[in-house]
Amino acid sequence: MDVKEKIFEIVAEVCETDVANITGESTIGDFPQWDSMGHLTILSNVEEAFDINFEPEEMMDLEDVDDIVNAVEEKIG
Amino acid sequence: MSIEEIIYKNALAFPEKIAIISGDVRISYHDLWDRIRQSAAYFISNPKIHKGDRIILSASKSIDFVYNYFGAHLAGLICVPIDPETNATRLARIVDSAKPSLIIGELRNHGDYHVLPFEDVLMGKDVPITFPKDEEISDLLFTTGTTGLPKGVELSYKNQFSAAENINTFIGNSSDDVELLALPISHSFGLGRMRCVLSKGATLVMLGSFASMKKFFGEMERCKVTGFGMVPASWSYILKMSGEKIGQFASQLKYIEIGSAFMSKENKEKLMSLLPHTRICMHYGLTEASRSTFISFHEDKDYLDSVGKPSPHTFVKIFDEKGNEKPNGEQGEICVKGNHVCSGYWDLPLSSFHEDFHKDYFKTGDWGFKDDKGFIYMISRKKEIINVGGKKVSPIEVEEALDTIEGIEESACIGVPDAVLGEVVKAFIVGRLTAGDDESIKKKMNGLVENYKVPAFIEHIDSIPKTTSGKIQRLLLK
Repeated sequence: MDVKEKIFEIVAEVCETDVANITGESTIGDFPQWDSMGHLTILSNVEEAFDINFEPEEMMDLEDVDDIVNAVEEKIG
Repeated sequence: MSIEEIIYKNALAFPEKIAIISGDVRISYHDLWDRIRQSAAYFISNPKIHKGDRIILSASKSIDFVYNYFGAHLAGLICVPIDPETNATRLARIVDSAKPSLIIGELRNHGDYHVLPFEDVLMGKDVPITFPKDEEISDLLFTTGTTGLPKGVELSYKNQFSAAENINTFIGNSSDDVELLALPISHSFGLGRMRCVLSKGATLVMLGSFASMKKFFGEMERCKVTGFGMVPASWSYILKMSGEKIGQFASQLKYIEIGSAFMSKENKEKLMSLLPHTRICMHYGLTEASRSTFISFHEDKDYLDSVGKPSPHTFVKIFDEKGNEKPNGEQGEICVKGNHVCSGYWDLPLSSFHEDFHKDYFKTGDWGFKDDKGFIYMISRKKEIINVGGKKVSPIEVEEALDTIEGIEESACIGVPDAVLGEVVKAFIVGRLTAGDDESIKKKMNGLVENYKVPAFIEHIDSIPKTTSGKIQRLLLK
């Protein structure tokens, strides 16, 4: 499973929706579950899935799905 | 005097001053008053709605919520603000109790109930307006209700005016303030902040959530924000998501108001170190007696374990269960007196409201004590105190000890029946430890707290139930 696919899956799971409803532009607030708690869960699930750590300064820039995909690809790249 | 009348006076005194900023929309006090009147006119001219009727209002950050909230008040209606995510069961119970004439706003799980969108409301023509009277009920706030049915707390115009005045006096707000509202506007805290800001003639910037730190700091910069309100969980989030960035706003932020929930001393001190000149105020209160005490972190830095002293124009006493006042240093129930204390319970006999008072002091249901300097210390919710063989155990104390053990992320404790001791402590634990670690947890706890406070039972669960403001709902674990 590639990075993008896995992240879409994580976001869909936290947002309690189908992966088909997630796009690269899906962002905080698009789904009721994607609030601050949801955002934290998404980021920590992503960290766990790829065995990486985001610094607070990096986290601030992670707003939508594409941001997260790019950040992960850069880290594991 | 009502907040509505003050907003009207503000609109006359400085009509062009910006009252609300929401994204690209900037509303002056003149326009705010105009929209409120239009909303009032809609309600007054609607033949299906009568003075004293209830309307449910729901939104997390909509500016239309503000117009309709005050507009409904001017039309003599009682507002029932609820969260847009309110679940179907709770909504049905609230509707059943409040019997609203209308449900307005954004509500995701509304089932068969008809919800009028905000855009369909503001169509009223000018009608004569009278200001609400002090003793009339303005809002019904339904408590989260850890057990049983939600209870409708009646707040009068006088309650809300007094609360806003007490808060603004303590924090020291002025009309120059620009406040970022990242709290949901249909919750008691967010609503309270909105009333404080608009009654002071200051400017409110609507954000609705802390979720996007980029937007939070973006609005701070764009609107030159001077203060905001948050709950302790928001601070943990800000810290995790943005590190020490808030320190860059140290000279800009005049004040922060923090809501009533547990906040570790470490988290308080971290905030103080990043904002050394900001007036960081934390309140203690409940829906029935909002902001009953206040602490200013920098000023009262030696008393950070306390919830501070009574708010301006508020009195706090500690009583035993028979209604005798306890001397300083001795524990009892925290009781509060002041014009901010609620006026009654909806749909319940007056006697059940009076049962919640020792003379004219409202029983908060919180257990604590007062020290010789007048600082109030809250130990636990009275109902949550665990009685182990006659010894009172605060679940919070046990949880704090548990949380220091490696592998435990968080915990919640309750009392469970015991044939010998009456009750013993049961701990619910979240983290990577399993049942195989229970004996070692108990051993470690022996070194941290007295024997009778060590959990007799441990259960490992996925998450601790909490209210939206981050308070642990221990009674749900019973």
